[in-house]
Amino acid sequence: MINAFLVFNGQGQPRLTKFYTQLDTSIQQRLISEIFTLVANRPKGSCNFLPLPPLLAASSTSTSSSEPHNDVPSLVTYRNYATLYFIIISTSTESPLALIDLIQVYVESLDRLFENVCELDLIFNFETLHATLGEMIVGGVVIETNMEKIVQGVRAQGTVAKRPVNESRGGGMGLGSGLGAGLGMGGNFVWSGR
Amino acid sequence: MPLRFEKSLYDLIRGLRNHKGNEKEYIQNCLKECRSEIKSQDMDVKATALLKIIYLEMNGHDMSWASFHVLEVMSSPKYHQKRVGYLGAVQSFKTDTEVLMLATNLLKKDLSASSPIVISLPIAALPHIITPSLALSVLADLLPRLSHSHAAIRKKTIVTLYRLALVYPETLRAAWPKIKERLMDKNEDPSVTAAIVNVVCELGWRRPQDFLPLAPRLFELLVDGGNNWMAIKLIKLFATLTPLEPRLVRKLLPPLTDLIRTTPAMSLLYECINGIIQGGILGDSEDDGREEIASLCVSKLRGMITFNGDANLKYVALLAFNRIVVTHPFLVAQQEDVIMECIDSEDITIRIKALDLVQGMVSSDNLMSIVSRLMRQLKTSSSSNNDQLDDLSTDSSEEMGAERRSRKRDEAPPLPEDYQIDVIGRILKMCSQNNYSSVVDFDWYIDVLTQLIRIAPASRKEIDLDGIALGAKSATADISESIGNELRNVAVKVKAVRVAAVRAAELIIAKLTMESTSHQVTSGSLKPVAWIAGEYAYQLSNPSDTLNHLLQLIPRIRPPEVLATCLQASMKLFALIAGNDQTYWTAERKSMVSLLMARVIHTYEPLITHPSLEVQERAVEFTELLKLTAEAASAQAPSTDELQQDPPLLLTQAIPSLFQGWELNSVAVGAQLNVPMPEGLDLDEPIHPNLGSLLAQADSLMLPIQEDDEFAAYYNEKAAPTSISSEPAINRLRDAPETASSGSYQQATEDSYLDADIIARRKAERAERNRDDPFYIGGLGSPSRSQGTSTPIHNILQNENGPDLDIDSIPIMKLDLGAISSSGVGAPGSYQQPKAPKSRPQIVVAADETLVGSRPSTPRTGSQHDSDPDPPSASAKSRAAKKLKQSLLQVDSSHLRNLSLEASQSDDPGTLPHEKLAETDEEMAKAMKEVQRLRLEMQRANERIQVAQGVPMEGVVVKSKKKKKDKDGEKEGKKGKKAKAKVEGGDGADDEKEKKVKKKKKATEGSQEDVAVEGGPVGGEGDAVAVKKKKKDKEGTVKKKKPKRIIQLDDDETGAGAGNGEGVEAGEP
Repeated sequence: MINAFLVFNGQGQPRLTKFYTQLDTSIQQRLISEIFTLVANRPKGSCNFLPLPPLLAASSTSTSSSEPHNDVPSLVTYRNYATLYFIIISTSTESPLALIDLIQVYVESLDRLFENVCELDLIFNFETLHATLGEMIVGGVVIETNMEKIVQGVRAQGTVAKRPVNESRGGGMGLGSGLGAGLGMGGNFVWSGR
Repeated sequence: MPLRFEKSLYDLIRGLRNHKGNEKEYIQNCLKECRSEIKSQDMDVKATALLKIIYLEMNGHDMSWASFHVLEVMSSPKYHQKRVGYLGAVQSFKTDTEVLMLATNLLKKDLSASSPIVISLPIAALPHIITPSLALSVLADLLPRLSHSHAAIRKKTIVTLYRLALVYPETLRAAWPKIKERLMDKNEDPSVTAAIVNVVCELGWRRPQDFLPLAPRLFELLVDGGNNWMAIKLIKLFATLTPLEPRLVRKLLPPLTDLIRTTPAMSLLYECINGIIQGGILGDSEDDGREEIASLCVSKLRGMITFNGDANLKYVALLAFNRIVVTHPFLVAQQEDVIMECIDSEDITIRIKALDLVQGMVSSDNLMSIVSRLMRQLKTSSSSNNDQLDDLSTDSSEEMGAERRSRKRDEAPPLPEDYQIDVIGRILKMCSQNNYSSVVDFDWYIDVLTQLIRIAPASRKEIDLDGIALGAKSATADISESIGNELRNVAVKVKAVRVAAVRAAELIIAKLTMESTSHQVTSGSLKPVAWIAGEYAYQLSNPSDTLNHLLQLIPRIRPPEVLATCLQASMKLFALIAGNDQTYWTAERKSMVSLLMARVIHTYEPLITHPSLEVQERAVEFTELLKLTAEAASAQAPSTDELQQDPPLLLTQAIPSLFQGWELNSVAVGAQLNVPMPEGLDLDEPIHPNLGSLLAQADSLMLPIQEDDEFAAYYNEKAAPTSISSEPAINRLRDAPETASSGSYQQATEDSYLDADIIARRKAERAERNRDDPFYIGGLGSPSRSQGTSTPIHNILQNENGPDLDIDSIPIMKLDLGAISSSGVGAPGSYQQPKAPKSRPQIVVAADETLVGSRPSTPRTGSQHDSDPDPPSASAKSRAAKKLKQSLLQVDSSHLRNLSLEASQSDDPGTLPHEKLAETDEEMAKAMKEVQRLRLEMQRANERIQVAQGVPMEGVVVKSKKKKKDKDGEKEGKKGKKAKAKVEGGDGADDEKEKKVKKKKKATEGSQEDVAVEGGPVGGEGDAVAVKKKKKDKEGTVKKKKPKRIIQLDDDETGAGAGNGEGVEAGEP
């Protein structure tokens, strides 16, 4: 099964964290930073799989290595799109190559929802990120890989906002609190990596 | 719309970006705002605040304090607010979150909502927060959703039921028939079918026998599913089924081969091959078809590795090979060439996988080349790591520096430290396995070890995260210590190369001294290395230098064990240097010895007050002894021309005799435990009936001088009988002639040429090989020789070939195998002579000594726990410990194994009747416990609600709570009845707790009514503490029994974590 789905940017700032098992916030952050250091040092042309970060390696070696246990997270798959890294931590029961495709499906779905998705969209609409992921993976099990259906499922929950420039359109995102918030800053908004 | 001053999420994020630099402060301010906003009556404000908190949680700011508010937002009637609430729950709730109990009714309500998007919320959230009791209560509401009209709901429900089953296996008993029905339904939405297949695949490896009946339908789906994702999962599932039903193989082979030949999807192709491997379909090659498929698979995998440019395929192919190697090592061995290539891949992930493979393929033929590859990696990495040390390098000429720089530029980033440690550990393991059976050339091995100690990651390196730094530090210390241990093992076990090992130790000590002036000495290798130098001091090339180094090192050593060993070693060295009774007591010698003693005493004296007793004792012992000796030495007049004086006996006899006993041999790890306990020995009996008063007297007691001599005599006399009694006869047979006639024929010849020319040649080689090594010191001593042989050629080669020629890329071993002379470089032909005789493999590697009953073992290195011949009790203990430590992120599914899906069928092969009985008992007890807990928690919830109720308050929250309260009340009644049968002890605890709860309630009621709203959660927290304590007490009492129990279960459920501990406890009669 899939143990965690993470998105962070080139500076290691998390954009989406979803753990399908419970983990303390501090340990989550440590895991993210460990994975980030691994992912940031990949030479060109390397494969999309990471060695286990120390946190996971330490706990998985405690179980005997001779007989790989299917419950233990043993595979870290990542994919890099522009400024973002998408990470899946999974057990050996998932197919490694299929996971790479799964990330692709996720990103393409986001792209379709946001029309030319960029990191900004993800920052300001992290609820939509969660919703999209929720249409694909529930409780660590993949439930849908068909992009049409994923997009449909997300749209059924309300309209998806575009980036902050169009924040006023974001009524569907709910909260009704963004009204007027985007005033005066929509135009000259410069992305500087937070 | 009223005017708002609160920040939206958008403002928060924007603010974060505008406050670069002082984000911390900004976030703290925001959190403060959120804390007040979330208490607002306005649900919009509340939800916005929660969304902000969730966003901050993602960035590492704990939000567990807000769990009650999460619940409030979850209960909002508006979907977009509800969604935020559920998101908060998913991201922050843990199974021990207290408000979870309050959520039960809300979840049940939302599960039966009319809007499908609302239903989805609890379904998707449940897997994150599920507990057995929650599963029990929502199961009834969740099951009907399996036949919801929306396919999206159906597929989510199926997955959620699976997660329910993991914590509460009974779920499956109710849900499985319905899921199966869905699976069999050919008109079912394909994505629902795919979701079911995913779930069945997850369940499949846990209980494969239950899913065999489904095989026909699954097969059908595989053949005409047309969905690659599903096909992958199906193949994975079949791989777990085929071992149980061999007939499946024949049926599966045609479609699988077909897929392999035709599919355009690489992932599916790979999974087909993988499935064939895992399903054991490769078989025993008695069948023609199978042989064909085996070669087809292997050739495809080989193609994946060599396939240009796709590293992912390389990786997965190695993964597959790693699986094949277990059953079909010969198939993998054929691919050695491509696998070796992967060891040098830039990509660490691929390297590690290749290493895993190679480790199993090591033989005496390829060991050297494998190790040399790894060594080269480590060395280039460490040379780029330790740039500052490069500058210290003694002979780095201009162009060498340039070369190194250019090499660094196009080199991959330095290897991570833990990878380096891993590789070093593997090298040691590969070489030492089967008592060094693969090592042909021990001189080479010693060189490798020396090199490894130099390039082992320095443990003083700081790491950003404090938590990790601790672990890494110990790991690096461990690794250099285990390298040192290897060197020691070789010195002890392989007499033929002991000299070389001792010389290596000498060099290492010298290097440590020079390298870390004024620094703390941190290398863990010092301990074993110092031991070698002390124990085999007579073989050191320059004992007094080594003693000097040790004396310099001692004040800078921190770890007490290392210090103690170094004290002992330096004393041994002193005994050797000063204790020569052949030469006369000249004035020169007298002053030399006195000076030396003064130095040693000066070094030891500060340690007399060392906190570690071991160090203190040795320091005191040796200082006193040396002071006495110093007195004796100064009293003894030096010999003059007419009168020959002998040196003091204390110096020549007493001190050396302290250390000259029997030769130390290696002893198997478990041997000590096999020593039978002498009859009549009671270890609990006090040594002396009046020990206390004796110890009190000891303060004023002065040690008599003879004590040490007596001790020395005692040591020598007593050593003999014990060692004979514990030593098997066979060992003495082999050792005896050696001690008698200084070595057998074989070893004598080895020694002769080792000493004379091989060592010299080695040194020359080493000098050459280490020219690039900034750490090399040996070359310093003999500059003429090293330059004479290697430098000119080196320079010529370098000038001609430019940076293309990487000296480091010449495998180290090639030099050993005479490659130098064949290419006309360096070594004269005569040097080949000693190399030629095939006597090397005959080097005697002493086996570990052991007593009957324990197996001989290879020496322990840090990473070699698997092969430990631990006595059963110890290994069982370690296994128990293993079980207790659950892996991070791991989902505990051990409960599931005990559940039989086909409960009604009595012929279920999975569970035996008595097991079943125990199981139901256990489950019963577990359920009772849960019910009891549930009741407690509901009571508490009730109290809290009553508190909140006391205040007139408008808004949805209270309303929904009222409702909840009613329901809770009903439920409680039910549970109460059920729980009647429960243990009395538990009741007592309950009463006490109830009292506490009431007190709390009074306290909160007594306070001002306005505050009471907030008092609810606050009071709740107070309760939580009380309950927790109670729980802990309960657990504490039962836990004592736990380890035993786990050991018993061990064979059935490996890797069961601490998570299921409670269940097991409850199962205790």
